Amino acid sequence: MSFEFFLREAWNGFRRSGIMSVVSLVTVTVSLVVLGTFLLAVFNLGAVMNSVGSKMEIAAYVDKTIDEYTASTYMLELTKMEGVDSVKYISKEEAWENFKRDFEGRLDLQEIMKENPLPNAFVIKVKNPTLVTAVAKKISNIPEIDEVRYSGRLADRFQILMDAVRLGGLILVFLLILATLLIVINTIRLTVIARQTDIAIMKLVGATNNFIKWPFMLEGILIGIIGSALSFVILKASYDLITMQLLRSMPFIPLVTSRSELFMIYAGVALTGVALGALGGYISVNSLLKELEQ
Amino acid sequence: MIVLRGVTKIYPNGVEALSGVDLSIGKEEFVFIVGPTGSGKSTLLKMLYREELPTSGQVVVDRLNISELKKNQIPFLRRNIGVVFQDYKLLPMRTVYENVAFALQVLGASRTYIRRQVTQALELVGLLKKAKCFPGELSGGEQQRVCIARAIVNNPPLLLADEPTGNLDPATSWEIIHLLDKINKRNTTVLVATHNKSIVDGMRKRVVALESGRVIRDQQLGVYSNVI
Repeated sequence: MSFEFFLREAWNGFRRSGIMSVVSLVTVTVSLVVLGTFLLAVFNLGAVMNSVGSKMEIAAYVDKTIDEYTASTYMLELTKMEGVDSVKYISKEEAWENFKRDFEGRLDLQEIMKENPLPNAFVIKVKNPTLVTAVAKKISNIPEIDEVRYSGRLADRFQILMDAVRLGGLILVFLLILATLLIVINTIRLTVIARQTDIAIMKLVGATNNFIKWPFMLEGILIGIIGSALSFVILKASYDLITMQLLRSMPFIPLVTSRSELFMIYAGVALTGVALGALGGYISVNSLLKELEQ
Repeated sequence: MIVLRGVTKIYPNGVEALSGVDLSIGKEEFVFIVGPTGSGKSTLLKMLYREELPTSGQVVVDRLNISELKKNQIPFLRRNIGVVFQDYKLLPMRTVYENVAFALQVLGASRTYIRRQVTQALELVGLLKKAKCFPGELSGGEQQRVCIARAIVNNPPLLLADEPTGNLDPATSWEIIHLLDKINKRNTTVLVATHNKSIVDGMRKRVVALESGRVIRDQQLGVYSNVI
């Protein structure tokens, strides 16, 4: 009985507040769209950076005095190394063939060199661009590895950039959520103040504070749910449209299109909306009740 | 039912609304609190449902000491007190029925119980036919009757009325007072704060007269003023 009553009260409150409800709803929706847009941007930036990073490879050249069979046995050791994604072995013959193919017609290699001057090598991909330096150092510690080449300074800079993006994104998301909360509290507070008489009468006829709070919290949740749904529709429609257009013209951009990842973002935004609605309703009705008690 | 001992109320702005009031009201009495505006009538009533606290002295309602009441106990005190206001304090967006039912819904009463009680209350005040109207569609007297119905729907042992006829014409005022008298006869203690002389003189009930926050007269079968 009671919960049904609260729900009905919340719905009636929402309906009767008319323009105020619409204002809160639009505010919440817009705030959530801004939050969602930002999250999508951060995730996409992350995806782009990861794909750039994954193109960073480490080349490890094996000591020329070591025979081919022994060299190939380091494959396993490298693969097991922490942070390593994949290891490709390139024998010196293979490398030589590649080299010759690349320079065919431009150089008469047979004339210059009769013998293959290249070492056996490994091309190592790391799981995460930030690991490049660490992995490269570890590999160079293997005595039989003659030389390790990687774009060290680039990798280091990349790591700094990634850290900055991650930290900046986190701070901005936090600030955005805070701003959204304040906006929601403020707008719900207006609807609460508009019903100050209702609250005063409720107290007069002996309603407990919790009883008074529930409908307003549910109303906040209701605004949160509807706002979340609207912002989801807006976000999804515009994101799908934008990615479709972008992928058509620039298919190489690694945009976030995986359903599960997008679902996480949308669900996060929606949950934030509902939580903000509930919290906003609670905080605004609570502060008004405190004022009434004084 | 109600006992006041040496009650003084000084508002934060320094106004002394009541000073050293002693008063005792028994069960099922009908009492007029009379006096000019600013004599402390409203303050006295407000302390009974703990809208205000006494600065010093004791206020006891139904064996509960108002000053010792915890905040979370206030709602339960108020459920035993019906209050009628000069300005009715009805919710404009709710129908007559909903306004009266509201007082029971906040107690978490069942729907069948609410329907029965609200119907009875509206029947008592003669507004059953207007149950679906909104307050704005009613006359002042009718709105006051809705307010009374809301105050008594829970069958509280105590009914307080603060200037219930303040906004009404004489004929309607009499209707309201007779209604309050009828409620009193159904075993409810009724306190009416008023400065309506003709009604007080006509009813011949107990009269407590206040002036500048002091009780200057407490008289059974009294009249508004002894000065002729």
